[in-house]
Amino acid sequence: MQVLTFLLKRFGWMIITVWIVFTVSFFLMRQIPGGPLNGERVLSEAVRARLEARYNLDAPISEQYFTHLWNTVRLDFGPSFKLQDYTVNEILAQGFPVSAALGILGMVFAITIGMTSGVVSAVRRNSAYDYSFMMMATLGIAIPNFVLAAMLIVIFVFNLQMFPAAGWGDLNQIILPAFCLGAPFAGYIARLTRTGMLEVLGNDYIRTAYAKGLSPRTVVMKHGLRGALLPVVSYLGPAIAGILTGSLVLERIFVIPGMGSHFIEAAIQRDYTLAMGALLTYTVLLFGMNTLVDLAYSIIDPRVKLE
Amino acid sequence: MSHSTEPILQIQNLQVEFHTDSGVVRAVNGVSFDLYPGETLGIVGESGSGKSVTNLSLMGLIPQPPGKIAGGKVLYNGQNLLELNQRQWQQVRGKKIAMIFQDPMTALNPFLTVEEQLIEVTMLHMQLNRAQATEHAIEILRKVGIPGAEKRIRDYPHQFSGGMRQRVMIAMAISCQPDILIADEPTTALDVTIQAQILELMKSMQEEFGTAIIFITHDLGVVASICDRVMVMYAGRKVEQSTTREIFRQPRHPYTVGLLNSAPRWDQGEDDLQAIDGQPPDLLNLPLGCSFNPRCQFVQDSCLQDTPPLVALEGETPHQHACLQDITQTEEDHSS
Amino acid sequence: MPIPNQPPSELERLAAILQEAHDVHGVSLWADAWKRLKRNKAAMISLWSLLTIVLLAILTPLLPLQSPIYQDVKNRELLPPQWEGFSLGIKQYDEETARLIAEADLQVAGNAKHKELMTEVEAREQKHPINLYWNDPNFLTKPLISLRLLLFGDFCIPSIFGTDKLGRDVLSRVFWGSRISLACGFIATLVSLMIGVSYGAISGYMGGWVDNLMMRLVDVFYSIPFIFIVIFIMSFLSSPDVREVLQEYHIGQIHVFFLLIGAIYWLTMARVVRGQVISLKNEQFVEAAKTIGATRMQIVFRHLVPNVMGIVIVYLTLTIPAVIRFEAFLSFLGMGVEAPNISWGLLVNEGVQVITIIKTYWWMIAFSGMALATTLFALNFLGDGVRDALDPKLKNK
Repeated sequence: MQVLTFLLKRFGWMIITVWIVFTVSFFLMRQIPGGPLNGERVLSEAVRARLEARYNLDAPISEQYFTHLWNTVRLDFGPSFKLQDYTVNEILAQGFPVSAALGILGMVFAITIGMTSGVVSAVRRNSAYDYSFMMMATLGIAIPNFVLAAMLIVIFVFNLQMFPAAGWGDLNQIILPAFCLGAPFAGYIARLTRTGMLEVLGNDYIRTAYAKGLSPRTVVMKHGLRGALLPVVSYLGPAIAGILTGSLVLERIFVIPGMGSHFIEAAIQRDYTLAMGALLTYTVLLFGMNTLVDLAYSIIDPRVKLE
Repeated sequence: MSHSTEPILQIQNLQVEFHTDSGVVRAVNGVSFDLYPGETLGIVGESGSGKSVTNLSLMGLIPQPPGKIAGGKVLYNGQNLLELNQRQWQQVRGKKIAMIFQDPMTALNPFLTVEEQLIEVTMLHMQLNRAQATEHAIEILRKVGIPGAEKRIRDYPHQFSGGMRQRVMIAMAISCQPDILIADEPTTALDVTIQAQILELMKSMQEEFGTAIIFITHDLGVVASICDRVMVMYAGRKVEQSTTREIFRQPRHPYTVGLLNSAPRWDQGEDDLQAIDGQPPDLLNLPLGCSFNPRCQFVQDSCLQDTPPLVALEGETPHQHACLQDITQTEEDHSS
Repeated sequence: MPIPNQPPSELERLAAILQEAHDVHGVSLWADAWKRLKRNKAAMISLWSLLTIVLLAILTPLLPLQSPIYQDVKNRELLPPQWEGFSLGIKQYDEETARLIAEADLQVAGNAKHKELMTEVEAREQKHPINLYWNDPNFLTKPLISLRLLLFGDFCIPSIFGTDKLGRDVLSRVFWGSRISLACGFIATLVSLMIGVSYGAISGYMGGWVDNLMMRLVDVFYSIPFIFIVIFIMSFLSSPDVREVLQEYHIGQIHVFFLLIGAIYWLTMARVVRGQVISLKNEQFVEAAKTIGATRMQIVFRHLVPNVMGIVIVYLTLTIPAVIRFEAFLSFLGMGVEAPNISWGLLVNEGVQVITIIKTYWWMIAFSGMALATTLFALNFLGDGVRDALDPKLKNK
């Protein structure tokens, strides 16, 4: 019940957020002088009129706004401005699974590597493991993923020829980009886990757990890990936003036909229906993920009340 | 109280050090005492006197590093606990020696239900299965006075009040019927009315199970109501020890006198309350001679040079104290 | 029988307490933090490296570098790192010009030959290498460049970092790129600081529905994927018409870009400051300020904000590298800094562009990437050190 009200409330806020994003970007788009049809080619009056009718650009701006809004509510983003044979929905449906696969793989990689090394570092504090893991974590955080990607391409693709340079579809083709995508987040998660774990291990209830005669393993995994997870979980929200940003860049470097590539293309080409569609999809995605994170937080920490 | 039986726990010349950035802190400096089955021994002292560190080392819970047990023995039924390895310690903790901590707000894991925290002890030490352990946990919760135990067992610690949480802590500590229960200021964080209830509960649990209790506190009122014997610690040393009655009747160390004078008593007016002057000792820079000399109103030249040895007085009741002066005479003069 | 000392009189007792209090020296939070930071070797090394990087960036125009934008595709395309010297050739050019002027002086003023020579001289001044070698130097860089020419003349450090696709010197581009990358880190952080601290402090101090509304808004912002909005706005700004309008107001696209980045990185700062202000606003010193008639704005900005500086600095250490990275991201995507301006992100992008199966031109990526990574690495380490130093709760960990 509590969860349901929480989800309903969140849904309400999501509608508001999406509406704000929609409105701001709609008017930004319409502010572009000349409009999106002023390409390199000069269009004849007739063609122009036809195109304007097709994109509903001949109506007054308020009418355009409400028509577009209504279409968006029905999840119809309309035809693409530049890729004229496709609708935005088709392009997104094609790109989304690709980006999602890349993002999920990167995130899974980041969480497993990050948490494991974080826990080991905290438990074996000041050991060689600790120092080398934390050094690697800081390196992972510091090196922007496109620099990492460029270096790895030079090493693994061209010199060692272990992976193909670019493209999509093969498992071989996903490993490098997913690694580059996940690396900075693995670093953050490792450090958050370590700090969180150290803080938790200093708590009185950990001493209680030892005083009960539990083994160090049980104390760390059962009594420690939950508390140490909290900072990691609250970091996942920003991390997901970061994964979206990161995949923009990596899709470009590795020539992966995901949403990010489409969005950049759309922005450069002024393909506003496509850009709008991608933007709204990203907003909903981010909002949904943040909600999931809050939900997870309240499950892990029973003291937290959902609002 | 006389003891015909053998002590269950003997602490001999225990020394615990902490290595910090600024130097070595001798938190416990050559402390010895015995604990007999079924008795309650009070350990009294200010914060930093070494009373908590002493007891953590009985559980092998001194964080190492920075802590280090530099010497001494802890004999439990003749076995030196300080020589145990990790696995052997796990067999002692919670099963033979259990501990109750000061703050029930932080000593219980906020992420786990009370049930989970209670059953893991008995499943580990008594080899119960989950159902048995739960049953046992409900029973023991009822015993420590938690109403509606079978329902409340599924709650999280934050859903209990402070006093109830301390009851849960006690339930957890006694659930394997340990020989020794160490209570580290178990009532300090509680309201006065709740304090009395918790003390009552501990007494009745002691009667039922025959547990020996080490009761750490700085509250002499609590000592008077629960302890058979009292040991006073100052700056990592034992400075006085006797029966509770004897300590209250005839304290022989100026620090004990100070503690008694600074505690409010029903038979004295507020005007007689006296604080002990000065700061608690800085363990990094202890004064030469008796550690208490900067704050002592009986201080003599010899106190500034010689560390007073612990002297045992023969008599009806054994009484140990570590003071170079005989303060009983002057104390009487002073108070008359 | 020992005689106890006389119990001290009340006055003596109080005097002793006073003396004791006098002997205890308070150490300010900052002095204490600095002391702790100085003990942290990694943080100190990072601090000195960063200071060096910043100093080099500021003094870039003064250093004997080649031109960052001068192109020579024919002779210098994608040269690997080398020690072969390179001359700016300004001296020769100036000598040539001087020769022409001297020749013109020989002619009678006003005759055709003189006129011809003078127009040539003028034309030569117009396309003087200084104007070709440095992109529109402003009042700050111009004197430094002049000084550099005075000090080093035509001498340049050889292309030890190689050259790029258009024959430009990578070493000098990395140096000039540092200026924009670091400036972005500085300006954008400042913007985010001002917005975040004011927003958080006001929200926290006002409380009630104002606080509620302001924080709801922050929640909404958290769920907006800002990089996409920025890309949107940047592509909007790069349309020729908008650019013209901006130029009328003497605003470069890059300035808007800096402000934009700062304007989206204030959310966490606002939240943290709000939390601190809420816990501080019921403290006695705020009551005290109220009783002497301080206005609400005075209380917020004179009494509360200085007290949250510790935590603000902790978050600054996170914001600066984040902002620099974000700039690099956008420039890498071609959505940020645009030619002829240079930033590290842009340089890495140029490096990635020329990767081919046949040849990798590693120097195009390695040096700019390393400059970026080193700076971010040092910022991270320094940030860790500052956080540990300012947060005594964690200091023993």
